[in-house]
Amino acid sequence: MLLTPKGASRSLAAVFTPIKSRGLVDEVCARIEQAVETGLLTSGQRLPNETELAAALGVSAVTAREALSQLRASGIIRTARGRSGGSFIADDVLPSRERALAQLHELSRLQIRDLALHYQAIAAACAGVAARRSDAADVATLRSFIPAADDDSLSWRLALSEFLLEVAAIARSARLARELIRLQADLGTLTLLPCADTGYRGRTAVILGDVAAAIEAHDPGAAETGVKALISATTDWLLTEQAKSY
Amino acid sequence: MSDTASTTGPATASVAAPAEPGPVEKAAGLAAAELDATIAAIEHRLTAWAADAGAALAALSGKVTGTAVDKLIRPVVEELVQLPGGYAAGAGFIANAGLLGPERSYIAWWQGPDLEHVDALANFSPNSISRYVKAEWFRIPVETGRAHVTGPYVDFLCTDEYVLTFTHPVFTRPDGPVAGIVGIDVTVQRLERGAMAALRRIGGRATLANADGRAVVSAASDIDAGDLTAPNEPCAHYPVGRTFILWSDAVGR
Repeated sequence: MLLTPKGASRSLAAVFTPIKSRGLVDEVCARIEQAVETGLLTSGQRLPNETELAAALGVSAVTAREALSQLRASGIIRTARGRSGGSFIADDVLPSRERALAQLHELSRLQIRDLALHYQAIAAACAGVAARRSDAADVATLRSFIPAADDDSLSWRLALSEFLLEVAAIARSARLARELIRLQADLGTLTLLPCADTGYRGRTAVILGDVAAAIEAHDPGAAETGVKALISATTDWLLTEQAKSY
Repeated sequence: MSDTASTTGPATASVAAPAEPGPVEKAAGLAAAELDATIAAIEHRLTAWAADAGAALAALSGKVTGTAVDKLIRPVVEELVQLPGGYAAGAGFIANAGLLGPERSYIAWWQGPDLEHVDALANFSPNSISRYVKAEWFRIPVETGRAHVTGPYVDFLCTDEYVLTFTHPVFTRPDGPVAGIVGIDVTVQRLERGAMAALRRIGGRATLANADGRAVVSAASDIDAGDLTAPNEPCAHYPVGRTFILWSDAVGR
């Protein structure tokens, strides 16, 4: 309703949402990684020093230092010494297929299936309520999140997560929205993989249209079925891909 | 006359005779005025803050830095969010492009009694304005030069709660461009606590709605905050603040 897919986005907003279950250092790292992923921080850009970073995020200088060192170790930032030194966002830090594949193979099929079930339950609840509460402006905003067929896989992935967050926004439930943001963080970069597949993009584009139509028609049943199908399409793709490693 | 009274009941009778309000209507009018005063107080406080902030920014004569903005805004936010019985869950200032840099915004926004600094990482981004330009609570006061109320909506950027955001443009010169906005977040939960007693005095289905007819707080158990509602005519309509409406009787749409 308020933010659109290009430019300011809800994924950006989620970057700054506390993820209480993680350690503080991991949380600082996750926020910076997501700020990079969503284009708020770009390659070559100088990061604040640890004192400034600590003050901005309300953590101790020790936590900020550890986070910076962890980001350096994982190649997200590079550090230059000397007068023009400091920490900079590294080149080629955007989520890559290699990283997403590594993440996929770390997960068991059971974990993927269980995460999908949880995601479906929350997203379907959002869709059902959204179908009851939508107005014309809501539906117009929702449709603006449907990506174009030729968008690259990074923007496609972002648009899919934004679409579901918009469904939660239309449902107007703070709890369901928070849960959805948490689940998307748990999925991590995994969802990048199917987005590179034109077949998957074609299938999901149809489903996104169906979900928007159901929410517009105030049909909770069809909206729920639609978002469940959307998540199934992703999970099925991931499980098929993961099976290839055995 | 007695026939009419016995078949239509007191509610209809009161609407049919508006000239001389009876005690029930007077009590309802007082309760509605109470709610109006609550919302109007938030709006007036924001208007006064916008004027003060504009004057203070103008006094910096072009040397506006993040630190200077923080120094200007934080004490007011502290007063607003820590006010006993106050409505602000969070408050602050967001710079429009141009005040600190061409594409740069600056967010000086804090929330909660511990004054958690909201979205502070964005202040390190050179294109941070992109985060705010499309948000209704920023875009509308900047475009129209007038105060605006957004919501109720789920606020992903700050509180992650169901909130109303009151925003007001800030000018450093009367005819100049909008330098930024000041705003106050009010959670629906907090408003509900303040409004329910007044709504119940008006009627069992009295409902406070925004300009789109979306319920903010309702005395009826089948109308939730966020539901689309309509007045169940004939019923009394009371304006609340600049944009809200209170219906003595409402139904879901």
